Amino acid sequence: MLSSPRHIILLLIICAFSVTACQKRQPPLYYYNDYSVSYYAYKKDMSPESLLKLQQSMEKAIDDSGQSKSGRVPPGMYANVGYIYLKSGKPQEAVGAFTKEKNVYPESAHFMDRMIKKVELTEGVEDE
Amino acid sequence: MNNIRMVTNISLIFLLLLVSGCAKFTTKGEEFPKMYNEHPRSLLVLPPMNESTDVEAKGYYMTTIEMPLALTGYYVFPVEMVSDIMKQEGVYDSEVLYNMPLDKFYEYFGADAVLYTRIKKWDVSYMVIAANLTVSIEAEILSTKTSEQLWKYTGTVVVDLSGGNSGGGLAGLVINAIVTAINTAAADYVTYAHRANGRFIQTLPFGPYHEMYLKDQQIKFVDQTPPSTK
Repeated sequence: MLSSPRHIILLLIICAFSVTACQKRQPPLYYYNDYSVSYYAYKKDMSPESLLKLQQSMEKAIDDSGQSKSGRVPPGMYANVGYIYLKSGKPQEAVGAFTKEKNVYPESAHFMDRMIKKVELTEGVEDE
Repeated sequence: MNNIRMVTNISLIFLLLLVSGCAKFTTKGEEFPKMYNEHPRSLLVLPPMNESTDVEAKGYYMTTIEMPLALTGYYVFPVEMVSDIMKQEGVYDSEVLYNMPLDKFYEYFGADAVLYTRIKKWDVSYMVIAANLTVSIEAEILSTKTSEQLWKYTGTVVVDLSGGNSGGGLAGLVINAIVTAINTAAADYVTYAHRANGRFIQTLPFGPYHEMYLKDQQIKFVDQTPPSTK
């Protein structure tokens, strides 16, 4: 009875589920909301509506970052949302987000400084 | 029903791989010592090289790679922003991008290492009444300081898209063909790309933002190095 393929398959499924269940008890290192889903949806149609949805999804991930194990906003999240602000004609907000990215992740400082300088030059935004 | 079939198929393939003698195991520390010597903190994901037949694979694949790398503990440069800038700078195309001297990426972005990805397969292959979906991604990390390869692995996922066995006879065949057509139409490559990423990312040493950073040298995985090069 126990050696029938049905039973083996069932056992495998149970094993797989129990392993994933254990991993899920801990909160993840970062909280992403539905970032990958809304990013993919945006790539599929590239419409202003889906870009706005992506932006809102990211803003929510930033607001709720305290739920994660690290308590930090995920790497690149401030920068990516800042870049959306820049493309939507909000350079001031963009510089604000780039500065936050740099403060949370010093690894990005070189790149963020370059971007901030570029925005200030082209958009005439004053650094605060 | 379909999901269960898929899960069992995948786990059976995995089990077969484990059981068969050809699957040799190695450890992270043994296979990728340069990762532990250089310990890069930040990874710049370059737009993938698309060797598949699907032109859209490149843009879609990029939406899957940022999260798992960050969750492994690396600082990952903002993927969408970086790829947009590369388009503006005229280096988005693989031929240009993959021939650039790597220190340029350090100079411009301050990245410790870059991630090259090659989409080897992103398609559905049809047989008479069945279809297989394959997503295969080859990934490689190179140092921007020494230009040396620090890590490399390939993740492949093959999914049987034909429906469950709906009885014998000609009617059964017809139903199977219809189910296959429907499944193929709804086939979501990105879901399987996430899974293929999972395959190779589990072999990647943890990064500085992860609690297992520099403590995971003993973790085992299936060795993909061809015997001739060892």
